[in-house]
Amino acid sequence: MSKWSTLQDRSFLESNARERAIGIVDEGTFTEFAGPLDRRTSPHLETLGEAVEFDDGIVTGVGKIGKTPVFVISQEGRFIGGSVGEVGGAKMVATLKTAIALADRIAKEFPKAADDEKPVVAISFETGGVRLHEANAGLLAHAEVMDQFQRARGKVPVITLIGSKVGCFGGMGFVAAATDAIVMSEFGRLGLTGPEVIEQEMGKDEFDSADRALVYRTTGGRHKYVMGDCNFIVADTVGAFRAQVAELAKLPVSAFEAMRRIGSAALVEKQLKGVALAAEMQPKDARDVWKHAGNADPVALANVPLDAFKATVKRLAL
Amino acid sequence: MALNTLEFECKCAAPAAAVTAPVHFGVVGSGDLEVLMTPAKAGGAVKVKVVTPVTGFDALWQRVLAAFVESAKLGDVAIEINDNNATPAVVTLRLRQALAEAAA
Amino acid sequence: MDTLLGQGRAAIDLICDPQTFNENTVGAKTFDDPDFGPGAVVGTAKLEGETVTVIASDADAFNEKFPVVYAGIIGMEEGYKMAQAVYATLEADKAVAKANKRPIVLIVDTPGNGPGKVEEIFGMNKATGAYQLALAEARLAGHPIVAMVIGRAISGAFLCHGLQADHILSLDSDFGTMIHVMPLTSISRIIKKDMETLEKLAEGNPVFAAGPRFFSKLGGVEEIVTKIEDMHAAVARHVALVRAAKSQSDEATGPVGRGALGAERGGRVVRPEVIKLVEGQFAAVASAYLPGAH
Repeated sequence: MSKWSTLQDRSFLESNARERAIGIVDEGTFTEFAGPLDRRTSPHLETLGEAVEFDDGIVTGVGKIGKTPVFVISQEGRFIGGSVGEVGGAKMVATLKTAIALADRIAKEFPKAADDEKPVVAISFETGGVRLHEANAGLLAHAEVMDQFQRARGKVPVITLIGSKVGCFGGMGFVAAATDAIVMSEFGRLGLTGPEVIEQEMGKDEFDSADRALVYRTTGGRHKYVMGDCNFIVADTVGAFRAQVAELAKLPVSAFEAMRRIGSAALVEKQLKGVALAAEMQPKDARDVWKHAGNADPVALANVPLDAFKATVKRLAL
Repeated sequence: MALNTLEFECKCAAPAAAVTAPVHFGVVGSGDLEVLMTPAKAGGAVKVKVVTPVTGFDALWQRVLAAFVESAKLGDVAIEINDNNATPAVVTLRLRQALAEAAA
Repeated sequence: MDTLLGQGRAAIDLICDPQTFNENTVGAKTFDDPDFGPGAVVGTAKLEGETVTVIASDADAFNEKFPVVYAGIIGMEEGYKMAQAVYATLEADKAVAKANKRPIVLIVDTPGNGPGKVEEIFGMNKATGAYQLALAEARLAGHPIVAMVIGRAISGAFLCHGLQADHILSLDSDFGTMIHVMPLTSISRIIKKDMETLEKLAEGNPVFAAGPRFFSKLGGVEEIVTKIEDMHAAVARHVALVRAAKSQSDEATGPVGRGALGAERGGRVVRPEVIKLVEGQFAAVASAYLPGAH
């Protein structure tokens, strides 16, 4: 494990789940839940004779940023694609439940607590969703995570971080969309249907999953930023993600409703304007939408350095 | 079909280096493994447990671990490995990295 | 009739009081555009005389604007339309006491979420997520939500339309019902384990095999209904069961309740152990996370 200070400059993309978890919070503050020493491996993988991991591919725990308790969930893409099974799903649910319970306790026992003394949850997604080896349990866990998000509303902000190799797809793609705030790097990808499945459904002429640039401009961080599907786009370092979480950690929980994409009748109406635009435009490519948003040269914009992108990009107004 | 679990002990001639706190290293990616080292009273020996989907390489695991324990002069440690088809070179590398982590 | 697969509309009259379904009206909201989200059927009906919101899929509909939507697939319009129906239900009963909120009946027969390029460009994940959050909000607000699986309840589409319900019922697999992430043949191919072995393992472990009985063992389905003509009474009975359970605790039903049921039925026993472990580990350090502890 790299030292905390060296982790800050490291690529978020290249880091592993535990490094991301430790690096997001203040130095030396991370306490892991159901970590390697607890050896909670998946009994279902064992039954199938598949390799197991002591943390079942999800690092969970709590640390601090300044005074703020930060509950962390970090998925490991290198272990079976970051897929969610019974153990890993239960770790996610338990961490969310624990954060909500702490928020309830603080509200009751410390009514004068400052905003930065109240907990937040940060989830680094790196997953294609359900783990097929224990598909049914994984599916049920997704529903439980979604339910915990709704229970957390107005109590604990849930912040999504996406900057990993696998991206965030499948059921976890809509789980992430249901959080309060989304932070991505340009290497992060967020969606529902992975590129291979779209190709299979629509044909290679419509969507070539081997075309990396196409894949990134359909689901990558820059595109999601144009669409308003992520709130923040940051550099690909652990420190940059951490800095964004630190900014958000200071805010009152009420400030997060305005960052949401979905979760209310009004937001559904807003999203439906986007759907109407999609129906009207029938875009062949994400670049058509960038243009519609007011970016005259989407190809150039896709290739400028991130700071220049952020300074000049026009985001889609709905 | 269940996973293959190997348990054995290694002992080097002059155990010196000790792991004083649990240390974990690695990710069970394809062709990779994780190592958990914990202090363990074992009369100077190293207790090894390997969990792997691969069968038929028991002797090789013993040889790789024995060589590592000898070169690192390890004793009174439990080494647990979750493996997913790592090569001997990767096994040795991860063991060294875990030990470096313990010393850090 | 030995299957209801693809017959979401016909199932409405079998589950609710016959001839009471008023499509496209939920509370004060009306859905006036026939071309909007045609794959989703929403409206109001009676169940044992009580007003209920009904949400189903129309397997015969084809969404001309979004051609990946057919055969009961939930596309972007469909997902948001279903969410609108839930929010309209919440609005309609805003002034009603928690114990008396109107039920929502989900009739489940859907093979998937819209899998297209336009869907990814605009964010299909938001549409399905929006509907799930709406259902969770309605459930926590007191509305009894009962899902009745009559056909296909597949993976992400079942998460979208079904798994946020208080209780889930399913017709038995004799009626062609399918509940799964993937058929076992596909799982076998992807995880590289032969079918024979998987089928044998499935006898003792319901965690990967397809079908309502396996989900039932895991607590993912509360009750299996063995006759089509029993659906009406079963759904009405579960509305009452859900109301009674929710008056005690908001964790007795829904995804949390199904977690407990999975342990009780012996299908998901690790989940509660892991949750308990994590809660205990936080409790040991909790004092450091209270205000003023720094």
